Amino acid sequence: MTAIDIAVRRPVLTRGLVAALFVLAVGALCLMLEPVAPWLFAFPAAWTVPATDWVGNVLEVVLNTIKPTMRLFSAVVAYPMAGADWALSGTPWPIVLGAVTGLGWYIGGWRMSLLGLAGFGFVLLSGYWTESMNTLALVVVSVPLAVLLGGGIGLLANEAPRVRPALLATLDAMQTIPTFAYLTPLLLLFGFGPVVGLVASAIYAAPPMARNVILGLERVDAEVKEAGIMSGATRLQQLVLVEIPAAAQQIMVGVNQCLMAALSMVIIAAVIGGFDDIGWEVLLTMRKAQFGQAFLAGLVIVAFAIVIDRMSAQLALERQRFSWRIGAGIFGAGIALALVLALAGQADAPAGIFGAASEAVDTSLGAFTAANGAALDGIKNGAMFYGLLPLRIGLDQAVLPFTWGFQWTGAMSLWLFAAGALGGLALAMTGRPVAGVGLAILTGIIETGVANLPWPFVLSSVAALGWIAGGRRLAIIATLLLATILVSGLWERALLSIYLSGAAVAACTVVGGLLGLLSAVSPMAWRVVRPLCDMLQTIPLFVFLIPVLMFFQIGEFSAFLAICAYAIVPMIRYTRHGLISTPPDMLEAAIASGATPSQIMRDVRFPYAAPSILLGLNQTILYAFAMLVIAALIGTTGLGQSIYLALGQADVGLGVSAGAAMAILAFIADRLVQGFAAERRKALGLS
Amino acid sequence: MSETAAISVRGLWQVFGAQPGPAFQRASADHDTPEAIAETLKAQGHIPAVRDANFDVAPGELFVVMGLSGSGKSTLIRGISRLVEPTAGKVEIEGEDVLSASTKRMTELRRSKIGMVFQHFGLFPHLSVIDNVAFPLKVGGMSRAERHAKARPILDMVGLQGRENAYPRELSGGQRQRVGIARSLAGDCSVWFLDEPFSALDPLIRRQLQDEFLDIRKRLNTTIVFITHDITEALKLADRIAIMRDGRIVQIGTPAEIVLKPVDDYVREFSRDVARGRHAKVGSVMRQDTGDLGTDDPGLRPDMTLEDALASCMKLYQPVPVRDDTGALLGAVYPQDLAKALQVERV
Repeated sequence: MTAIDIAVRRPVLTRGLVAALFVLAVGALCLMLEPVAPWLFAFPAAWTVPATDWVGNVLEVVLNTIKPTMRLFSAVVAYPMAGADWALSGTPWPIVLGAVTGLGWYIGGWRMSLLGLAGFGFVLLSGYWTESMNTLALVVVSVPLAVLLGGGIGLLANEAPRVRPALLATLDAMQTIPTFAYLTPLLLLFGFGPVVGLVASAIYAAPPMARNVILGLERVDAEVKEAGIMSGATRLQQLVLVEIPAAAQQIMVGVNQCLMAALSMVIIAAVIGGFDDIGWEVLLTMRKAQFGQAFLAGLVIVAFAIVIDRMSAQLALERQRFSWRIGAGIFGAGIALALVLALAGQADAPAGIFGAASEAVDTSLGAFTAANGAALDGIKNGAMFYGLLPLRIGLDQAVLPFTWGFQWTGAMSLWLFAAGALGGLALAMTGRPVAGVGLAILTGIIETGVANLPWPFVLSSVAALGWIAGGRRLAIIATLLLATILVSGLWERALLSIYLSGAAVAACTVVGGLLGLLSAVSPMAWRVVRPLCDMLQTIPLFVFLIPVLMFFQIGEFSAFLAICAYAIVPMIRYTRHGLISTPPDMLEAAIASGATPSQIMRDVRFPYAAPSILLGLNQTILYAFAMLVIAALIGTTGLGQSIYLALGQADVGLGVSAGAAMAILAFIADRLVQGFAAERRKALGLS
Repeated sequence: MSETAAISVRGLWQVFGAQPGPAFQRASADHDTPEAIAETLKAQGHIPAVRDANFDVAPGELFVVMGLSGSGKSTLIRGISRLVEPTAGKVEIEGEDVLSASTKRMTELRRSKIGMVFQHFGLFPHLSVIDNVAFPLKVGGMSRAERHAKARPILDMVGLQGRENAYPRELSGGQRQRVGIARSLAGDCSVWFLDEPFSALDPLIRRQLQDEFLDIRKRLNTTIVFITHDITEALKLADRIAIMRDGRIVQIGTPAEIVLKPVDDYVREFSRDVARGRHAKVGSVMRQDTGDLGTDDPGLRPDMTLEDALASCMKLYQPVPVRDDTGALLGAVYPQDLAKALQVERV
């Protein structure tokens, strides 16, 4: 053996390997020390600080100081709200229907017109007209508020580069702090009532608007901006006459996202009650287990969402002009119909015609669950006992004679560890040392369970991942942030949140990745998957809860399914997009080298798609966190539950702290994955 | 500083980086020569994109700045027009110090005195052709009817009549740049900046627009600073050419001076592929020392190009034979035909 051979064979101590070995060492140490130092596993309560109380006390003071101003604001905003509400509920339904259909014609011809008619027609026939108009009134008032707020932030970031980083951080926070978390302080500020929903949805819907304004203005061609300057335009003229119109398409995309976010939030805000809207209807019927009715109300929300989404998305496209006369004609027809109905004394919205249908759904659902109860329970219990539970509390506690048929013993733990170590060693010997160490770590996690992981291990894992993904700075920031959760006493709940969202993300990654792969190789499959993705992305978060509840009742498994249904979409989209956007010359080179289609997929398309897939994973994680809090409504433990409980008890400290903890987890996950994606992009020479 | 110059640039520096102003102050306090200052700045991680530019442009002159990409020519024109703020130096346009002009005054100057054409046209995508052209008038506060009335003859001049209501996306590249040219002329500018205006066009359209540009120039008699990376374009259009390299102006001269008396290998490399005979005049190779003149007089004049002079001289020669390998006579070549055949088609 020559000297060169030896040099090649010796495993190189890469950054990844160092980090993995470090984590393995910490984990192994913790496991060995467990008998003598139990505090490594359960962080002693004596070491925590009452952070939630502190946050609560400070916030109480702050909130009470600004409360009078806010109450005034609340009183002022109540007028346009009442106005919009009065206008929408007071207007006879044929006029509203005519307006939507006519507007649809003007925006997008007969297609949009028909969509408007069908969507709002369905709402009318569902019998939820009044509630729907109440919801619409909230959207109508909150969207201009959000557009102004978001547009203002966007413009400010564009005009004042100094404050830009701070503004971007604010936008990050506005989007990652779970919506339920700021409902609590808002409730205290504004009191019960629709204004809370209004303000919450404005906060929630402003960031997409701001981001699109920033992006749009940034993307205006440099020479177009210079041409504005050299034409002798003042700064204001440049903005109003050149840059904003040139960015109009991107800004309209922002308005579209803003509308959807506002609608979603208005419905979420229904949990605080006090406003007879469609979200409340869903919640009420869901609580009474009237799933047929809940499903119907959910469909009304979906119909709303689709009409609003498609019409406003049309505005962001290259404008094709349609006759406003025909649009106005349709509107006129609506007014005429309203007059006729008024004269005939039939002005009220018709009672729903789906009452029987929804009852039928209830009965048949009852029959279905009765008939297939065993099968459904089988699915649920199988997933719980063999998947979720071991992941949560570890094999050593989850494997019981009652479920698995035998008792887990210490010997089995040893065998598991030995198998993990052997597998890891095998991987390391075949040239993949990082994967080998990773397998060993994974074995330890499965044996221990995510919820029981020793805290030094979690902290060092995050530090190690941060170090690989973004260097020392990211490692330090991520560890410090995580440590604040640890000492604030929210640690156990945070681990539970990590476990459930982790399980959902893992499931989404596998299933979504496969679906993305399938969609990439088969256009036929994409034709089926794509409308499903569109649908899932349009539906407000809340509605995901209905179908899972119908079949699996309240519980962790239902929450898991709801999270997966919402969070899987980006994984599918980004995977497919990454896999199909391989540059054609690379593919031609691969074909010319004699690669088979599967070799091309594995060795060319997949490595090239890796950054895109990582971004998909990033989105999936953020989606999962967002849904985790909503899913608390149907039974999850962890931070989401704390936030929801805090809302019920008006406990500002707990709500905001738990919300901040969620935001920290989301932030860390986001930066880690972004770091990996950036590293991949750089390695491929894409940035 | 020349009293009569339309544009006068003195000691202009454009430095990019974290702290360009203070860094330049320190570097210029420590060192005297531009080279030393530039090296110091570079060592600190700053980029001296334009170093100590000095030149005057006479009224009505067409001054071309030529250089490869990254040589600083686009930065130079952005400094003069104050699209970026120069780090140091002085720029006067028609006697007015533009670097110390207020924002308000700059806006006025751009509306009334300075026009600019961009490489990728910089058209406003949301405005029709006529509204693009009338835009400088609009921001100047002119009424719609008035500015459209003023924009129409300019559109006619660039050959866009009938396309007034089209949108930029509906036009070809050549047509788009015509709009760009028309817009830069709408404000009756007397100083005209063109930043590689024809580089994005294909060769045929480029030549056509160059000719039209020269026509317009004759009619308007504006002072022009024209940026290009194409030596042929520079030689064809310029009254004088400034050649830039690494942010420095290495030579300023007429086309003939650039071709015949390059100051260094860098400039020589540019003019290697250029048919010198077309740009140099008889005067540049004429000697005062007449010596023993022969009897032939082909009728040379000092302002004739070398190509034409060669053709005239060749007329005096007798035809010569052309043979095959065995020495058999195939035909004859007339020397004037040789000279003519070697001339490149005039562009």
